[in-house]
Order: sequence, then structure tokens, then C-alpha cells
Amino acid sequence: MNTYICRYCRQPSDPSAPTCPLCGAPVDIRSSVSDSGWVEQPPIRDMARLQFGQSHVQIAGSTVPTAEFTLAPEDWIYFSHHTLLWTEPQTRLTNMPLKGAWNRKMAGLPLVMVEGRGPGHLALSDNHAGEVVALPMQHSQEIWVREHRFLCATGNIKYDWHPTNVWYETGQDSDDREMHYPMGQFGDTFGAHGAPGLLLLHAPGNVFIRDLQPGQTMLIQPSSLLYRDVSVRMALHLEYPRSTGFSFWRSSWSYRSIFVRLWGPGRVAVQSVYEPPEDTEVIVNHSYATTHHW
Amino acid sequence: MELIQCQWCQAQNQPGSTSCQTCGAPLDQKNKVSDSGWREAPRLRDMTEFRFSGSTCQVEGELVPVAELNLHPQDGVYFEHHVLLWKDEQVPLSSLNTGGGLKRSIGGMPHIVTVANGPGRIAFSRNAPGEMVVLPLHPGMELDVREHAFLVASHSVQYSFIRIKGLVNLLHGGSGMYMDRFITAGYPGMLLLHGNGDVLERTLRPGEKILVEPGGFLYKDSAVQMQAVQMPLKTGLLRHGMYLAEMTGPGRVGIQSMYVHHHAD
Repeated sequence: MNTYICRYCRQPSDPSAPTCPLCGAPVDIRSSVSDSGWVEQPPIRDMARLQFGQSHVQIAGSTVPTAEFTLAPEDWIYFSHHTLLWTEPQTRLTNMPLKGAWNRKMAGLPLVMVEGRGPGHLALSDNHAGEVVALPMQHSQEIWVREHRFLCATGNIKYDWHPTNVWYETGQDSDDREMHYPMGQFGDTFGAHGAPGLLLLHAPGNVFIRDLQPGQTMLIQPSSLLYRDVSVRMALHLEYPRSTGFSFWRSSWSYRSIFVRLWGPGRVAVQSVYEPPEDTEVIVNHSYATTHHW
Repeated sequence: MELIQCQWCQAQNQPGSTSCQTCGAPLDQKNKVSDSGWREAPRLRDMTEFRFSGSTCQVEGELVPVAELNLHPQDGVYFEHHVLLWKDEQVPLSSLNTGGGLKRSIGGMPHIVTVANGPGRIAFSRNAPGEMVVLPLHPGMELDVREHAFLVASHSVQYSFIRIKGLVNLLHGGSGMYMDRFITAGYPGMLLLHGNGDVLERTLRPGEKILVEPGGFLYKDSAVQMQAVQMPLKTGLLRHGMYLAEMTGPGRVGIQSMYVHHHAD
């Protein structure tokens, strides 16, 4: 039998299938690569099935795709209750509590996950036009995901969350000090344990992936980062364009761009829809950052 | 040569047709049905045209589709005024009182719908990525539609609304205070909805149940019973309960994949 490695999920796959049975990426298409090396993640084809354990998930739709699970009795998944679109009455749903409820509440993260156990069907969807991204994970593999992008994971994938350590503070007086987390206060970490698992994300817009070489760096819009290998490091980066006969009438304003710098080695993925940092207040304090004044 | 039956609206079409003349559904594509029986509403091809009464409707665009109607002199349509995208100058507009004035206003629903009569062209769209759902209504049909999902209906379709009953349904049902109800008496009619994201439909057998996120509910046959039920789950810091809409057949249920969760933390 031919050995075929899916170019998107990097797992041994079936070359005779129209789509990769592990991640749903079409097998029979050419890779779409930009001149700078970004590989476009092809959308999962409508009605494609992805296998995990004795169960499978079918992706339906193309604008806001839904993930419809057919769960075998021994399999289970977990997800945020916000994403549950429908369920059959016989599918068992139970709470999965998470540590750090107060911090999660303050950061705007869901406090409770829901476990869905087979046998039965249920479906999940997010509320943005975009793509479902499937990441099959081998035992001991770990991946970092930006907050609110998680759709669901199989039961053997462990979930943890940590501060992003990417922040800055504005406001010159103590009364109007404000903390900003341009890529969220916390990031999610997922790791497969004991057996392969499947992680599903939802990305607004289109998704592009790239492999960074050891020591290679790049700058990206903070909220566009979808996921990265845990070997990729990141930190705040501030750039101040050169002023040419232009200044703000308020001294507390500044003209700057806020990025995240990524260091390889490893895989990174970005989404084309993001929320740019908006304010122009002078930054008075920040996490570790590289800076450039033009 | 055999006529081609549309799998979405069941209308008969001339041999060689590539889209249904009654609802615009592609006739040369297979139905997309998931393993559990949800069927995707047909994605209308850009510039697809179909007929209702003596008028035509052309659907333009794919991300936020526009319905462009060419009204016959004897035809009219009605709609909520904020979905009107453009119209020919000569197309007359009038208003139709739906009844329930103050109560409907409190519920965030219009108590007046706007009527446009032919001849002339007029176009409609809503403001979210999604798809146009064309529902030709045969005589004697009753369809309940989520509030603000209705785009436009032909004048032969009677418009009314039903108040959602029961405090639990009202507080936790996530479908607002009212549902629009569309009824055809002696004549067929045409109803256009806008679903956010993708639209899926499932036909429930008598007594069959499905639990749906209330924000995802789009439409149902009036025979389908809808009831808010509490799940054995607690959410949020205050551990409040989670409710889903229990749909009980017989009849069709339509859902949309993009919605604002009705009890987001």
C-alpha cells in the first residue's frame, strides 16, 4: 500500500480517498501556495467524513460549516455549550468543570465544558463565516490555540490554558490606566495522551499555514493567529512609523502598530478575519517586546 | 421525455432544466443529506431565476444574496421595510397593519409590514452572510418562522403571528416573543427567508423529537410542536440551567448554522 502523508495534517493518510479521512482536506487538489510561502488550508468539502476512534464527524455546509458527530458508545467529545446546534435526546450530555472559574470569567472564557457521549448524534457550529479546521493529533503531540477558536476535542485530548504574556497598558494617570490583551489574556493548549485524537477549530475567514525554520521570525496581527506548534515562541512587537510633519494634538496619543513576533521552528496558522487593536493611547507599560522606530 | 421533479419543492420541470422554475434549486446536483438526516437547503446559483404567479425572482450573489423581483402588474409582495435594498421609482409602496401594535413593538417586531405592487422591479436582502431559502407554499400550508428571518412573501400568502406561550418558553426559548406564521388558503404562494450561515432541514416523523439550540431555529411546519426544555447541565458562574428547544414531529424543521447563542455567558 502506498504511503501518503497528508500535506495539511501531516499524518499518514489514504491516497485513494477523495478527502483525507483524518482532517478532511481534499486529496485531489494542488497545493495553493503564496509567493511568500503561506499555504492556503483548503476548506473541508461539504459532507466530508473524518474518522476518530469508532466514531466520525461529518462537516456540512460551506459558509458557517457545522460539525455533525456520530458517536459510538465508547467515544466522547467535549465542547463549549455555546457551540451546540442540536442534539438527539439519547445523546448523553454532562458537565465538565474547569479550574480557575473566576479568572476564566474575567477573561470572557467559558466556565464549563460539556461532554457529549455516544451512542448518538449531535452537531456543533460557531457563529462566524469561515472554516472548520481539523487537527488530528498523535500521542504526546501538543498545540497552542488562540482563545475562542476551539470547537471541540475528542476525550483523550487534554485541555489546559495559560496566560499569553502578550499585553500592554495605556493611560498616563492611574485613574485611566487600561490593560490590553491583543491576542486574548489566555491561550488554550491541547495535548493528545495515550492514543491519537482529533481537535476541531473554527476560524473566521480563510486559513493559511506556514512552517517557520529554526530562528526564523515573522510579524503578524495578534488576533489573526489561529494556532501554533508549542515550539514556536511569541512576544509583543511595537513599531513606530517615522513622523513626517504630522503629530497628534494630544500628547497622550501615539501612532504605532502592534504586532506579535513569532520565532520558529514550527507550524503556525493565521485566519484572515481579525480584530485590530484600535486605540491610539500612549503605551506606558508592556510585556516583553521587541520595538522598532522608523 | 420525462419531467424532472425538484427534490426541494417537488415541482415538475421541463426536461433539460438545470434549476427549478418554482424555487430555483439546482436540478443537476445531488441532495446533500448528512448521516443523521439533515438536508442542506439548496444553494441557489448566482443569477438563478424562478417564477411565482406572473412575476419572476432572480437571486444574485452568494455571500449575502439579493432577491430581485420583477413584479407583474397584478402581483404584490410584502416585507419588513428595512430589508428593501432598492426599487424602481414607479413601484408603489403601501403599509399593512399586522395588528397587535404596542405588544408587537414591545416584542421588537414591526406592527406594520410594507406592501409593494407591480409592475416594476424591487430587490431585498438582509445584512448577514447566509443563504436565501425559497419555500413555495402549496394551498393549505402553515409555516412558522423565527422573527426577523422573513425576507419577502407574495400577496397570496396570509401573514399572521403567534405569541410564544409559556413563561419558560418565553424566558429560555431564545426565539423572542413572537413567531411569524404564514398560511396559504386557496392559492399557492411564495415565501423567501434569509438564513444566517448554512440552512439545514429535517423532516420529523410523528412523535420524533430533536433538541435544537433555540438561536438556530429558523422555521417549522406549524404541526411541529416546539417546547423549551431544561438540559441536565449548568453553565456560567451562577450555574444557571441550559435550555434547548425540543421539536416534536410530524413535520419539517429548518435550522441556521450561524446564530447568537441565546444564553451566552
